[in-house]
Amino acid sequence: MCLTETLDEMVQSGTLSPELAIQVLVQFDKSMTEALEAQVKSKVTIKGHLHTYRFCDNVWTFILQDALFKSEELQENVSRVKIVACDSKLLTQ
Amino acid sequence: MAEQGLEGSQPVDLLRHPSGIVPTLQNIVSTVNLDCKLELKAIALQARNAEYNPKRFAAVIMRIREPKTTALIFASGKMVCTGAKSESQSKLAARKYARIIQKLGFPAKFKDFKIQNIVGSCDVKFPIRLEGLAYSHGAFSSYEPELFPGLIYRMKQPKIVLLIFVSGKIVLTGAKVREETYTAFENIYPVLTEFRKSQQWYAQLLVFYVTTDVCILLNVTCQSIVDHGNNI
Repeated sequence: MCLTETLDEMVQSGTLSPELAIQVLVQFDKSMTEALEAQVKSKVTIKGHLHTYRFCDNVWTFILQDALFKSEELQENVSRVKIVACDSKLLTQ
Repeated sequence: MAEQGLEGSQPVDLLRHPSGIVPTLQNIVSTVNLDCKLELKAIALQARNAEYNPKRFAAVIMRIREPKTTALIFASGKMVCTGAKSESQSKLAARKYARIIQKLGFPAKFKDFKIQNIVGSCDVKFPIRLEGLAYSHGAFSSYEPELFPGLIYRMKQPKIVLLIFVSGKIVLTGAKVREETYTAFENIYPVLTEFRKSQQWYAQLLVFYVTTDVCILLNVTCQSIVDHGNNI
């Protein structure tokens, strides 16, 4: 979200061309999938009340209420959280 | 509509249910025609609790919590509503889905609502000899324990399919109105009592026979050993 907002701002002010901004986003997705695959080892479980879900264009959207995020070290309650997810196989292609 | 099948919560009408058991309705499937072409992707993007994966299935799958049901919504405007526990709940749910589609800007109607299937279940609370039942009602029964543990009984009048399990649990499906489910159960109940498995008595007898058989077997063997000994 922050990245898209910053890129939007830069495109608006003319410091960045829209094409380059798109390329940055594509590279971000690529690098993130690589990093998640290679460097992140920890696992998190998320449990909460599924208020809303959606699956369209191969993207899952979940809105959870009173969700408990649990990892090995810590756990935290979140009153409302939105999760957007897609198949990592579709990103690497 | 009166809630049926809440066992024990109210007296059973013995004239309608001579067995004293009222099958509980578990699932109602209904269809309705919204009578307008639908943009499924737009619906999936705007509505909550919707899934649309045209590669796998050509309908939007939508759920609501009250009545807890699932709807399959097709581009033609036809809709299938499943999961309700009564006819009225199924209709109410279908109306709610139609309302959601209307709110998304489609001129949805509510044409030809129809209950397509009613599934009920109950428990006669005694075990059943499925082999015996299958043998004496061969024309209606299919019992292949290697394929499926229940006996499939295709009743002709009313045209209902029953799944009968050794445990005494019964599933009735294929009804368009709940009375067909009830009639089918009252028809089958005397047959079930006829093939009731008297388990404890049977088991004890079996133990008795096995022990006597073993004794007889041992006696014979002992005798033959003695005979052989004499011969040598």
